[in-house]
Amino acid sequence: MTALPRQRSPNPHLGAYYGIITAAFVSLAILLAMFEELGWSEGVIARCMILLPLALYLLTAAGSRTLDPEDYFASGRRVPQVYNALVLAAITVGGVGFFAYTGAVFFLGFDALAIGLGWTCGLLLAGVLFVPYLRKAGAYTLPAFLGQRFRSRHVRMTASVLQVVPTALLLAAEMSIAAVVASIFLPLSFWLAVLLVAIFVAAVGILGGMRALTWSGSAEFIAGAVGLAVPLIVVSVLLTHLPAPQFTYGEMFGSLQSAETAAGMLPVTPGDLAPALTGPAPTAVTKPFLQAFGAINEAGFLLLFFTFALGTAALPSLLVRSGVTCSVADQRRSTAWALALVALFVITAPSLAVFAKLLMFRDMALAPTAGVPAWLSELSGRQLVQASDVNGDGTLVASELLVMRDRVALALPMLAELPFVLTALLASAGMAVALAAAGSHLFTLSASLADDVYGVLDKRPIALPRLMAAWAAIAACALFVLVFLLIADVDILRMAVTAFAFAGATFFPVLMLAVWWPRCSAWGALASLATGFGVLFLVVTVGGLFDAAETAVGTGLASLIAAVLALCAGVGTSLYGPGSASVETAYYEEMRKPEGETIFDQAQARTVSARKTGALREL
Amino acid sequence: MTAQGPETEHAAEHAARDRHQLRTLAVAITTLAAALCAVIVTIVYALSLNRLWFLHFPLGLYLLAQGLLIFAVVVTFWYVRVQERIDHTRSVTEEIV
Repeated sequence: MTALPRQRSPNPHLGAYYGIITAAFVSLAILLAMFEELGWSEGVIARCMILLPLALYLLTAAGSRTLDPEDYFASGRRVPQVYNALVLAAITVGGVGFFAYTGAVFFLGFDALAIGLGWTCGLLLAGVLFVPYLRKAGAYTLPAFLGQRFRSRHVRMTASVLQVVPTALLLAAEMSIAAVVASIFLPLSFWLAVLLVAIFVAAVGILGGMRALTWSGSAEFIAGAVGLAVPLIVVSVLLTHLPAPQFTYGEMFGSLQSAETAAGMLPVTPGDLAPALTGPAPTAVTKPFLQAFGAINEAGFLLLFFTFALGTAALPSLLVRSGVTCSVADQRRSTAWALALVALFVITAPSLAVFAKLLMFRDMALAPTAGVPAWLSELSGRQLVQASDVNGDGTLVASELLVMRDRVALALPMLAELPFVLTALLASAGMAVALAAAGSHLFTLSASLADDVYGVLDKRPIALPRLMAAWAAIAACALFVLVFLLIADVDILRMAVTAFAFAGATFFPVLMLAVWWPRCSAWGALASLATGFGVLFLVVTVGGLFDAAETAVGTGLASLIAAVLALCAGVGTSLYGPGSASVETAYYEEMRKPEGETIFDQAQARTVSARKTGALREL
Repeated sequence: MTAQGPETEHAAEHAARDRHQLRTLAVAITTLAAALCAVIVTIVYALSLNRLWFLHFPLGLYLLAQGLLIFAVVVTFWYVRVQERIDHTRSVTEEIV
């Protein structure tokens, strides 16, 4: 029996709603710029620029509240492709991209480009290899898809437990950076900022689940894009007289090289900067931007690229959104739009780093004659840089100026001596993207634990069991990460590398087998999951004693080896292990059919129909 | 139109499905191979490419910072277009059968 396709028409007023939201955000920035000229203090401007948009996102989430499971877990399967792309791009880039990636490019220049390239190619891999088939399957979570594909509760529960590591690491990283920004610009300690962020992301998840995340996430991405573009375009116009920073920062390379040489930056060799990815603590900038393969060599660059590519392709938080659009074709196009948006960000980020580095070291080179630059005290006051004349010669060189990697983006408007409102705008934008990503990671983690572990173990038909379990899981996970962030001192980029490494090693091989190899059995899937996760876990934990996986490149190498071993384990167990004789291809064939309702919805319709038939017979 | 037995219909359906899967596999391999080969070749030859300049950028840096990303976007939209045509062909064939 085939289910009749349901009417899934998106809200026709979405364009107007998001036009209003964008206009409100831009108007707020313009109003605050006027009030700054009228003498409003920086503290008030920062509070308005950060808290008012937060209220707007929360209002959007409250407007999207729902008690319908399909809306809560799959946003009603009627999200237009571009809106889904906005959220996918926000999850991929996140606060890690906005702050840590731009900071890494500032410190490492050429060598950090592997990360952005990995994100973009990862979305290409996901769009080609997995997304259309997950859309056709229509499962609410990635572990649920694996469970249905292999008809195994064990596969579902194992996948759910294993996805905790990558998702929780990314959640902690995003919440941490959002809290750092809040604590810099609001009169809050880091503790209170983490609490504010945890309450916000938990409230969005509890109110409307995937639906609220979609609509508030779209607003957050728009705010993030506007907030990044405006200050960057202004700086670009000031420096190059053209409002296209992506294509004009090349003109600055000559000045940048002169400034770097004057500040004492000399070419480095791989191994000089250990660990290769700069940490979050205040650090001196030592590597020239244009030097290729100075911090990591070609092999390390490739490994880092593949770690991020495979991790992005198999990231549960991205793949869980594969069921929210109207059709398979829409979902495929949505991923393509997301890739275009991520590519635009990745193309833009180096311009921010180049402008910041040029402004910082050009002014320092002029310091002996022109005096200490005005921005130095402002940046020091906000704890974005630390400067000390160590050798007492009255000048500052690169080694005497310590910069915090994750705060480089925030420093740009101050370095260009722009009005404070643009700094607050950039902070608000970065925080918005970090919150969108954190909300999605929290929902993915909690919905899976509630639906794939608790839901499988406890099948009693209580009223609202599914949503209540999800709400409880969201609250518990937010509390857990809150406590973790209060105890641990985290490096968000290092956590992101580890999270993408775990996602790639654990889920990429099993998804390849599930989607592209009909003979893969449930035991094969279990072997693949366990091998990928187990090998990387051993290397990261036990291997730490032998200096393996100590660096980002080491983790990347371990991740790739684990992924290859997991693929071999999955194939070997499927061919020669238990259950290899019974090859079940009906689900596999249906999943590859591009037309029609999702397999999950067809099964739901069959269940409803069977219940009705049973009731009629009883009558 | 001649009447077809259920076996013939079944065989035609299988043929359409197999053709669809083969084409899907071919376009997936082409897309990924093009993108990944471009990335790997650029990384391997980046130092040599950096001796050339393009739009004020060293060429190796330009390709890794912008060129490959633009290429990935183009390849993705090409893939979407071709795959939709393949899916459409399968739907039409199945309707005829």
